[in-house]
Amino acid sequence: MSSLPDPIQAGIERGWKVLGGRHGALPESVVCDVAVVGTGAGAGITAELLTAAGLSVVLIEEGPLRSSRDFNQIEAEAYPALYQDSANRQTADKAISILQGRCVGGSTTVNWTSSFRTPSDTLKYWRDHFDLPGLTDDAMSPWFLQVEQRLNIGPWLVPPNANNERLRLGAARLGISAAAILRNVKACWNLGSCGMGCPTNAKQSMLVTTIPAALDRGATLLVQTRAERLEIERGAVRAVLCVPVAVNGSVAGTRATRVQARHVVVAGGAINSPALLLRSKVPDPHGLLGRRTFLHPVVASTAIFEEPIEGWHGAPQTIYSDHFLGVDPIDGAIGYKLEAPPLHPVLASITLPGFGAGMARAMKDFPRTQALLALLRDGFHEQSPGGHVGLRSDGSPLLDYPLTDFVFEGARRALLSMAEIQFAAGALSVTPMHEMAASFSNWAAARQAIGVLPMKPYLTRVVSAHVMGGCGMAGRAELGVIRPDGRHWQLENLSVHDGSLFPTSIGANPQLSIYGLVNMLASGLAKSLSGRSVALA
Amino acid sequence: MKRRTLLLLGAGTGTLVALAGGTLALLSPGLEQGRLSIRGREMFSAVARGVLADLLPAEPAARSRAVQAHLQRLDDTIAGLPPALQAEIDELVTLLASMPGRLVLAGLRTDWPQAGEAELQAMLQGLRVSSLALRQQVYHALRNLTNAAYFADASTWQAIGYPGPNPV
Repeated sequence: MSSLPDPIQAGIERGWKVLGGRHGALPESVVCDVAVVGTGAGAGITAELLTAAGLSVVLIEEGPLRSSRDFNQIEAEAYPALYQDSANRQTADKAISILQGRCVGGSTTVNWTSSFRTPSDTLKYWRDHFDLPGLTDDAMSPWFLQVEQRLNIGPWLVPPNANNERLRLGAARLGISAAAILRNVKACWNLGSCGMGCPTNAKQSMLVTTIPAALDRGATLLVQTRAERLEIERGAVRAVLCVPVAVNGSVAGTRATRVQARHVVVAGGAINSPALLLRSKVPDPHGLLGRRTFLHPVVASTAIFEEPIEGWHGAPQTIYSDHFLGVDPIDGAIGYKLEAPPLHPVLASITLPGFGAGMARAMKDFPRTQALLALLRDGFHEQSPGGHVGLRSDGSPLLDYPLTDFVFEGARRALLSMAEIQFAAGALSVTPMHEMAASFSNWAAARQAIGVLPMKPYLTRVVSAHVMGGCGMAGRAELGVIRPDGRHWQLENLSVHDGSLFPTSIGANPQLSIYGLVNMLASGLAKSLSGRSVALA
Repeated sequence: MKRRTLLLLGAGTGTLVALAGGTLALLSPGLEQGRLSIRGREMFSAVARGVLADLLPAEPAARSRAVQAHLQRLDDTIAGLPPALQAEIDELVTLLASMPGRLVLAGLRTDWPQAGEAELQAMLQGLRVSSLALRQQVYHALRNLTNAAYFADASTWQAIGYPGPNPV
């Protein structure tokens, strides 16, 4: 347990209004100006701005409230408490495992701090294909700048850890461009435990920035509270109907809570936000709700080095390469971004292929293991339409994401690129994360074998940490679920403020894209509901 | 157990459902009050021997203690999952722990407690490279659950050179 001051605990002691879970029984009903579903990237920015405008806000979070004193850097405790499905959310066919947060702060509490503005070519694609002429670099720049200042997003001046350094070195030796990743941290200890919740409160997640600001201004936070459905009457949302849930997501008790609001902002994250709208049977005249959900499907490659790598140690992702996003046009063969992920025993042992003696050997080499991943930029080509969110019989969301040959063709190129970089950096051996791949001791052998690997679901390890789309934004109702001002095309007092807005994937880690876009949308919403102009602190 | 189908486990399950699904209600449950049943524990003990192999302690008494502790962590891991996923695991364990499920789905002739390490690993490899999506899903489910529970505990980290959390 961290012995450092815990700002969340201090806030509760100051009198923050937090209910649910261990914080006390949920009320039967609450009335407010704006109900916000979720507490992640979009919800946090929204809550700070709306409360700054003097509006009364109730935040509804399905996960628990955990904070630095709970963040003990132990995977087995962090995953069930802080992630959807214990960090093992899966697509319908179970071919893709998804890391997605589910706690106060959402994925921002557990992400790896990588901060990128929305790439210019992604915004251009949205302008050209989704009738969003306002989303230019120049128009978005001030919104990003405000967020970057608010969350201390900036250069990370500490040298990269050994894991990231091998990406920099291998890329440099091959003449491939690579650069440093901006991070949202303040006085970071360089521990490398970001994925289990920051024990030192250095990460400027929503948990320690915007949510406390909203609570200090009198917002109410309901935790372990699932928004079951929206109550819709005469073309408007009247309330959010909620149930209490245990930490594992099972319904805990029969008493429902009704949160009545003038306006509802849904920001439960892609997958959960479209699912809430589906359960609520919101109008969907063009059949777009839950469609075009994107994942940045990730493939990975590990390498063994002579020297220790200790991939668990140090800031998790500090070097990236966008070289392979620029080889083909954005709407051509699928491109990919390269990064070097952190390594801890549970997630690493699940992701490394094999069993028995082979796995034992690989795990015994764990300290000398280096890993690269490739995020495939999905959603820009007709053969990459993403997945769609549906509902299980119990109402819980289920994402069906068929992996197409188009995506797998990119995955093969990505496995080749990563192996070449790892050998260039001095790897003794490279193992693509594929059930039929051997461990290769040189680039020629790897190139030949990867070239003929069967690229199929289950055989190729595919994971994701970025869920986007499902309530796409567009300038015309027939192209999207949400208007350019963040409001629902058919329900005027319903907004969506999270990654489910994105009409395609981003082509970069999405947190700053969510912050920036939602900063613009929530500032407009605050103005229209209160008449006041507000900005982030 | 009420009638369920294996649709949650994915597509391509028609044969299996026809074979085993109709009798699922007659089989011993895989989970009882959210914890592995005796048959479930036997099955996952065998899977641990196949998946973890040399990572388990060699000395018989220490090995037995490590497997018992692992089964306890498996219960904890399963308890941390939402109800829909617990129901899927219940189905999976119910089927695999039964003779028809073991023979047809896993492809294991010997009952779980008696199966040797080599036989278990041949079964795992068969599942891993099977042309049936369902059998591949079973492979990943068994292996993921096993690794998630096993490497959750600090007692397993020394063998892989992981020092554990940083002091704060």
